[in-house]
Amino acid sequence: MLTKQTYARLGEAVYRTTLANGLKVVLVPKQGFHKTFAIMTTDYGSVDNHFVPRGQTEPVRFPDGIAHFLEHKLFEKQDHDAFDLFGKYGASANAFTSFTQTSYLFATTSQLRANLEILLDFVQDPYFTPATVNKEKGIIGQEIQMYDVDPGWQSYFGMIGNLYPKEPLHIDIAGTVDSIDKITADNLYAAYQTFYHPSNMDLVVVGDLDPEQTLAWIEANQARKTFAPVTPLKRIASPQTAPDQVVAHTTKSLTVVRPKVSLGLRGYDTVPTGREGLRYNVAVSLAFDLLFNDTSDNYLRLYDANVIDDSFGYDFVTQRGAHFGQLATDTDQPELFVAEMQAILAAVPQQLQAAQPQFDLVKREAIGRLIGAINSPEAIANQYSGPLFAGSTLFDELAILEALRFEDPETLATAFFAQSQSTVATILPKG
Amino acid sequence: MQLRSQNGVTLDLLPTKQFKTIGIKVDFVTPLKATAITARALMAQVLETSTAAYPTQTALARQLSAMYGANFGISVLKAGTQHIVRLTCSVVDEQYLADYPDTTPLFERGMAFLKAVLFEPLLPHGQFDPTTFTQQRQNLLTAIKSLDDDKQYLANRRLQELLFAGQPTQAMSALGDITTLGQLTAADILATYHDMLAHDAVHVAIIGDVTADRAQAALATWPLAERSTQAELPYYHWQPRTTVQAGDDWAPVTQAKLNLAYRVPVYRNSADFMATVVFNALFGGTPLSLLFTTVREKASLAYYASSSYNPYTGTISVQTGIQAENQQRVLAIIADQVAVLQRGEIPGNQLAEVKASLLNARLTILDSPQRLLNGRLNAQLTQVTTSLDQ
Repeated sequence: MLTKQTYARLGEAVYRTTLANGLKVVLVPKQGFHKTFAIMTTDYGSVDNHFVPRGQTEPVRFPDGIAHFLEHKLFEKQDHDAFDLFGKYGASANAFTSFTQTSYLFATTSQLRANLEILLDFVQDPYFTPATVNKEKGIIGQEIQMYDVDPGWQSYFGMIGNLYPKEPLHIDIAGTVDSIDKITADNLYAAYQTFYHPSNMDLVVVGDLDPEQTLAWIEANQARKTFAPVTPLKRIASPQTAPDQVVAHTTKSLTVVRPKVSLGLRGYDTVPTGREGLRYNVAVSLAFDLLFNDTSDNYLRLYDANVIDDSFGYDFVTQRGAHFGQLATDTDQPELFVAEMQAILAAVPQQLQAAQPQFDLVKREAIGRLIGAINSPEAIANQYSGPLFAGSTLFDELAILEALRFEDPETLATAFFAQSQSTVATILPKG
Repeated sequence: MQLRSQNGVTLDLLPTKQFKTIGIKVDFVTPLKATAITARALMAQVLETSTAAYPTQTALARQLSAMYGANFGISVLKAGTQHIVRLTCSVVDEQYLADYPDTTPLFERGMAFLKAVLFEPLLPHGQFDPTTFTQQRQNLLTAIKSLDDDKQYLANRRLQELLFAGQPTQAMSALGDITTLGQLTAADILATYHDMLAHDAVHVAIIGDVTADRAQAALATWPLAERSTQAELPYYHWQPRTTVQAGDDWAPVTQAKLNLAYRVPVYRNSADFMATVVFNALFGGTPLSLLFTTVREKASLAYYASSSYNPYTGTISVQTGIQAENQQRVLAIIADQVAVLQRGEIPGNQLAEVKASLLNARLTILDSPQRLLNGRLNAQLTQVTTSLDQ
C-alpha cells in the first residue's frame, strides 16, 4: 500500500511504502518529463569496515576500501555485465560509494520496467570469484592514483584526516593500493550478506512513472526472491578522537599553482535524530551562509583584501556518526586566510547578530535553490535522506526552510561553533 | 518558437510548464580573433562583478538573493570559428513560492537585471572602475594558471596546442592567454565592450511558463542597436597531416595522461554527421564503447578511457589516465579499436545499443532547461534544425 503525500503548491507528490522484506520504496511522478531516474542505496559505506558479519558471532575487521570495491564488482556476473544489460535499452547506469552509503542508479527514457528489473536483479544477485576480484584491482588502483593527483581531493581529505584521525572517516573511500590488494571474494560476500539485505536498503524512483504500476513491478520482482530474516546489524563503533586530539594543522606539497587551504570544523555537539536532524542541518547551513556567502560583509572585505577569490567555498555536512563544516579557498595568503576565518569563528554570536539584516536574503536564496532543484529528477532522488533524517525528501527540506526564523540558526549554530574543534590542511606548491 | 529575427538579434521562446524556473540566455557571437579572445574573457569577468546600480559584488549578490537566489553568470566559450560571451539568468517561477511580496514578477526582474549588467555597467569617469579591473585581471590570471592543476585539463590543452600549432585562435582556450592578459588596460576592455554591444550577433532565448508578449515586451526595453552580421558558418577546416605529431610533457605525478586527436573532416552540416556521432559513441563516447571495454574492462589499464567529437573543428579526441610505462600497450589497443571500426567489425547488437543510448541522451536533454537553452545556439550558428523525430 502506497501512502501519498501531496505538495499542492508545488504540484508534486511523494508515494512511499515499505515492502514485506523491509525494502523502503519512494516514488515521485514527474509529469511532462521524458526521463526516469532510479537509485537503490544501502546504508553501508567506507566507514563500515568493522562489524559482525550476518550469521556470525564475532566482529571482523575488513580491508579499507571494501565497500567501494564491492560497488565495482556487483556489476560483473558469471556470464555478463549489468552495464551491458542497461545498455540494451539505451539506459545509462552508474554507482558511487560515500562514507556511509553505496548507491546504484540508472536513467532511462524508455522501458522503465525492464531497467528496474535489471537494477533489482544485479544488486540482489552477487557474483564474486578470486579471478574477477583480482582483475578489478588494476582498475581501482588507477582510480586511487587519479585522486592522488587531484589537489582539491587531497585538500579535502587532508582536512578530514585531521578531524577524524582515529575514525575510519580518515581513510580514502576507495582505500589504498595496498589495502585493496588484500580484498578477497569471501570478504565481499560477507560484507554483501550483512549490508545488502533489503531491510538496510531503499529504492527511489523519480520521473515519468505511474506509482501504482511501478510498485506492482517492484513487488513482483521481490516476490520471486527469498531473503534471510531481518536481523539487527552489529557495527563495531570505532575509537573516538577526543576534542584535544584533533590535529591542528598539516601541510602537503603538490604540483599546484597556488596554495590551497581547507579549514575544517568538527562538531562535538549532539545532532538531533530524525527530521529534527534535518532541521539542524538546514539551520547550521544557513548560519554558514550568513557568515560567509557572497552577500556577507566578511566576503567583500576578504575578497577586496585578496585573501579569498572566486575559488572560496564552504559546506556543512551531517551524516551518520559525524558532522563537520569546511571553509576552503585557493590563496596566496594562507596564514592570513586562517587568521581571518578564526577571528570570525571566535565571535560567531556577534557575527550572526551583525548579519541578521541579511537573514531574509539568504533564506530566499536557499528557498530558490531548492525549488530550482525540483526541475531535476536526479536532485529529488539524491536528496532523499534515507535513514539519516527519517526518510525526508527535498520537499520536506523546503518546508523546514520556509518555517525557519533567525533564532533557529542563531541557537543551533552557536552550539555547533562553540563546541567544534578546528583544523587546517594546507597544500603548498612543490618546489 | 522564434519571436524575432532582425538586425542581427534573435529571440527564441521555449514555452513550457514542465519546470519550476524560468531560464534566460543571451549569447553575443563574433568570429574568433586571437587578439580579442582574452579581452572578451576579462570583459565578461568585469561585467559579472558589478553594475552602476549594484556597485559592489556584495550589492550585486544581495540583489540576486532578493530575487530568490537568481542564478546569474557570464561565461565565454568557443564554437569552431566563433567566440561567444554568454549571460545566463535563471529565476524561480513565483507561482511556486509560498509568499511573493514583490509586484514585478521574477522573470521581468531577471530581464531587468541582465539589462543593467549589459547596458548600465559601473563606469565612474567613463571607464571601468580601476580597482575592479585590476582585481578581476588578477583573478582571471590565477584562474587560467590554476586550470593546469587539473592534469587532465593540462594534457588536453597541450594536445590542442600541438594539433593547432600556428593557429592561435584554435590553440587558445576560450579564456585567452596570460601574456595578452597582463597587457590589457581598462580602456581596452571598454573598447571591447562597445564593440561587442554594437557588432556581435545577439541570440536571446527564454524557457519557462512565459507568454510571447511578456518575452517580447521585456526584450523591447533593451537598447540593442541595429547591426549587420554576416551569416558565417562556424566550421574550422584544416588540412590532413602526413605524419603524426607527438609531444611529451614531464610532471611529477603518479598517473600519466595520454591524449590523442584525430582529424575527422565531418561537420555539423555534413551528410555523415550522424554517422560520425554514432562512430564516436562506438569508439569511446559511452561506457559501451570499444575504448571503455578494452582499455579499462579487458586490459585493466585505466579507470577512464573515452573519446569526444567536436563537430565544429572536425576532430575526435581520446583521453585516458594510465601508468606511463603502459603507454605503448595502450596506444596499440587504441589503434586496434580504430582498425576494428574501419573494418566495420561491429556486432549488430552493439550498434543498436549505442544508438539506443544516444537516443536516450537526446530525449534527456528535453528535461533540462539549461541544455535546451544552450541547444538553441547550435541551431543559430549552424542553421541546422533537426527535430528529435529525425
